[in-house]
Amino acid sequence: MNVVRNRASLSRSPRSFITTAAVVLAGALALSAVPAQGASTPGVSATEIVLGMQLPQTGPASPGYNKVDDAIRAYFDYVNSKGGVYGRKITLVVKDDTYKAGLTVSTASALINKDKVFAMVGSIGTQTHISVIKDINRRGIPDLFVNSGYSGFYTDPKKYPTTFGALGTYVVEAKILGKHIKENFSKNTVGIVYQTDDFGRNTVEGLAIAGVTFTAKKTAATFIAGTQGSGLDAQMQQLKDNNVDVVVVGAVASAFAAAVSSANKIGYKPAQWIVISVGADATTFQTILGARGIPAASSAGLLAGTISASHAPSPGEAEDEYVKAFKTINDGFNKGPDKRWDNNVLQGMNIGYLTTSALLGVGKDLTRPGIIKYIEANAAKLPSAALSPLGYSSSTHEAFTGFWIGKYDATAVLKPIDATRKVWTTDSAKGAVTELKYTRPAIAADALPKVG
Amino acid sequence: MRAVSKVKQHSIARKSLRRTLFFIVLILLAGSTFDAYNQAQLALVLILFIGVLSVTLLTGISGQLSLGQGALMAVGGYCMALLITNKGYSIWVAIPLAIVGAAIAGLLLGISAARLSGPYLAGTTLVIALAIPTLSNRFMSVLKGDEGLPVDVGYPPNWFTKLFGEPSYEQWQLYVALPFAAIALFFASNILLSRTGRMWRAIRDNETAASLSGVNFSRQKIFVFVVSATFAGLSGALYGLRGLVGPSVYPVSLSLTLLTAAVLGGIRSIFGAFIGTVIVVFLPDWIEAVLGSFELSEQVSNFMPALISSLLLILTVVINPAGVAGTHLHKHK
Repeated sequence: MNVVRNRASLSRSPRSFITTAAVVLAGALALSAVPAQGASTPGVSATEIVLGMQLPQTGPASPGYNKVDDAIRAYFDYVNSKGGVYGRKITLVVKDDTYKAGLTVSTASALINKDKVFAMVGSIGTQTHISVIKDINRRGIPDLFVNSGYSGFYTDPKKYPTTFGALGTYVVEAKILGKHIKENFSKNTVGIVYQTDDFGRNTVEGLAIAGVTFTAKKTAATFIAGTQGSGLDAQMQQLKDNNVDVVVVGAVASAFAAAVSSANKIGYKPAQWIVISVGADATTFQTILGARGIPAASSAGLLAGTISASHAPSPGEAEDEYVKAFKTINDGFNKGPDKRWDNNVLQGMNIGYLTTSALLGVGKDLTRPGIIKYIEANAAKLPSAALSPLGYSSSTHEAFTGFWIGKYDATAVLKPIDATRKVWTTDSAKGAVTELKYTRPAIAADALPKVG
Repeated sequence: MRAVSKVKQHSIARKSLRRTLFFIVLILLAGSTFDAYNQAQLALVLILFIGVLSVTLLTGISGQLSLGQGALMAVGGYCMALLITNKGYSIWVAIPLAIVGAAIAGLLLGISAARLSGPYLAGTTLVIALAIPTLSNRFMSVLKGDEGLPVDVGYPPNWFTKLFGEPSYEQWQLYVALPFAAIALFFASNILLSRTGRMWRAIRDNETAASLSGVNFSRQKIFVFVVSATFAGLSGALYGLRGLVGPSVYPVSLSLTLLTAAVLGGIRSIFGAFIGTVIVVFLPDWIEAVLGSFELSEQVSNFMPALISSLLLILTVVINPAGVAGTHLHKHK
C-alpha cells in the first residue's frame, strides 16, 4: 500500500480533491450566476428588447467586419434617443468569436442562456454560423439578417426556418458579374483567385452558371481562407504564367488587398480586376495596404478601375438620401473605435434600420414566432437602403436579389458602369439574369422606418 | 509475488474508482444547481478536461512536449462526424470508433516522435496542428473543407426521458460528456498509480537511468503517444458534438489552450488538469463578472481573458511551476 501511496504523490488524496473541486465549482457558480428573467418572451420586457450578435471583433478575420456591430448599435442608440420601439429601447449584446467556430458555440450559448436575447441579429461569418445555426433554429430563436451570402442558409426555410440573410447570395452576385464578363471580356483570358470555402466555391458556381469557367491550377488559383496574411505571391504568379489578363477575386477584402499587393510585387498587371462585393470594400482595402506601407493615394490608384457589384448605394454617393441620413447618425451616435464611413458601416446601419422596421411591423405584442412570420410575409413592406427588394418568402429567406455593377474611380468610390445605373436580378439556381425595375421607398426625414 | 501484485492492482483500481464516483456525484450535483449557460460551460469543462488529461499524460508524466494535441482532437472529431454523417451511426458507436482512429494517428505520430525530443518534437506536433485546414481542403469531398461537418448531441433516447424526464439541451450535453469524462478520469488515475505511470515518469526524469532499469523507452514513448491520442481523440469527438467538426473548431490555439490549462492547474496531476480546465473555461465569465461594471471598451475587454490567462501562465511558471495542484503538495512537504 505504501508503494501505491508513494506513486500517487503526483495526484491528491480524495478528500483534498473533493474539497478543492467543490470550492472551485461553487466559485464558478457564484460568479457566473445570472438573475432569472420574468418575461414570457426571452429578451423582451416592457422597457427593453435585447438582441445578440456574434462576429470576429479581433483576430485576422476582423478588419472591416469589426465595424459592423458599432454601426448597428449606433442606429439602435439613435432609435432609442427617439423613444425606442413602442417605448422599448433596443439593447445589442455583442460577443467576439474571433472567427473560431469552437468559440462561436460558447458565445451563442452565452447570448441565449445568459444574456437571454430575444433574437440574433447581423451575425458575421459563414463557417462560424454553421456551428450554431441548427441550435438557434431548434430553439426557435429568430436569426435575423445574417451577414453571409452562403445560399445554404436561406434557400430551404424548412431546414432553417428562423434564419434570414442580410446579403444577396454569392451565387446571385457571381451570376450577374458572370453575365458582364461574358458580354465584355470574351476575348480576354479570364482567371480567378478564390478562397476554398463556401464563399469562393459559390462564386465559382455562379460564374459557371453564367458560362465563365476556369481550369484548375492554370486559370484558377486557390488559397485557404485566413492564410492570405502571408501574401498570395504563388497564386498571382500562377495566373501571370497562364497569361490571365482579367482576374476575378472570390475572397474577402484582406485577400483582395493581398492579391493586389502580391501582383504589384511580382510586376503582374492584369488589365482588369473584378471583385465580389464582400471583398471590395475600399476602406478595408486601403487600411490593409496602408499597413503594408502603401499610402492611401497609391492604394486608391491600385483600386481604381476595379469592377465590383453592390446591392446598396456606394458609401461614396454623398447625395443618396439613405447615405446622407445614415452618415449623420453615424457621426452622432457611433461610439466604436473606428467610425470612418464605409461599406461596413453602411451595411451595419442598414441592418439596424431593417431590424427596427421588423420590430415596428410586428407591433407591440412582440414574440419570436411573430417576428419570423412577419418578415416572411411582409418583405415588400420592409424598407432598406438597398436598390433591390428583399426576397424573403415562405420558399426562400434570401435577402437582396439584385445587384448593380460599378467601377472604382480614382477617389475609391464605386460608380455605376452604365451611364444610368442598371440593377440586375436572378436566383441562386439556374434562372436567367434580367434587369430589375425597382423603386426604393424614400427614407423619412427623421430616418426612422414608417412601418406598423 | 503475483498475489501481492494483484492486491496492489485492486487497491489502485479501488482508489481510481472512488475518485471517479466522487467526480460523477460532484458534477451531477453542480449540474443540477447550475443554470443553462453554466451547464453548457460545465459540459465544456468535462470535454476539455479529457483533452488536458492527454497533455498531462504526454507532457506532465512522460515529459514529451506536444503543441499539436488539437490535431489529434481533430482526428477524433472528423472520424466521429464521418461515421455519423456517412454511415448513420449513433454517437455511442461513433465515439468509440473515433477513439480507435485517434489512437492509430497517435501510433503513427508516436513512431516518428520516438526519435525526437524537446523543440524538435514540439515543432513536429505544431506542424501537424497547422496542417489541419490544408488537409480538410485537400480532401474536400470527404472532409467538406472550411464548412466542415455539422454534428450535435441530438436528443436523448426515449428510455432516458422515461426514467429521468426531459432534459434541457445543455443538460443533455452534460450527460453525454459525463460518462466519457468519468471513464477518462478512471483510466488516467489507474495509469498514474500503476507501473506504467512509474515507467513514464522514469523516462521523463532520466531516459538513460530508465533504460538501465529495464524500461524500453522507445516502446513506452510510442505507447504514451497512443494513450494520449486516445484521450485527445475522445475530447475532440465530444468537442465536435457541440455543433461542428471543421478546421475553425480545432485551431492551433486549441492546442495552446490545453497546454495552458495543464500548466495552470499543475501539469503532473489529474486534479491539476481539472482545476486548470475550470480556470480556462470560466475565466472569461469571472473577468466579465468582476470588470463588467467598469464599462471597458471592447478593444480592452475582448483581450482581457487572453491577457489575464497569459499573466497567470507567466506567474505560474515563474512563481509556482507545479501549478495550483502543486502548491498544495509543496505546502505539505
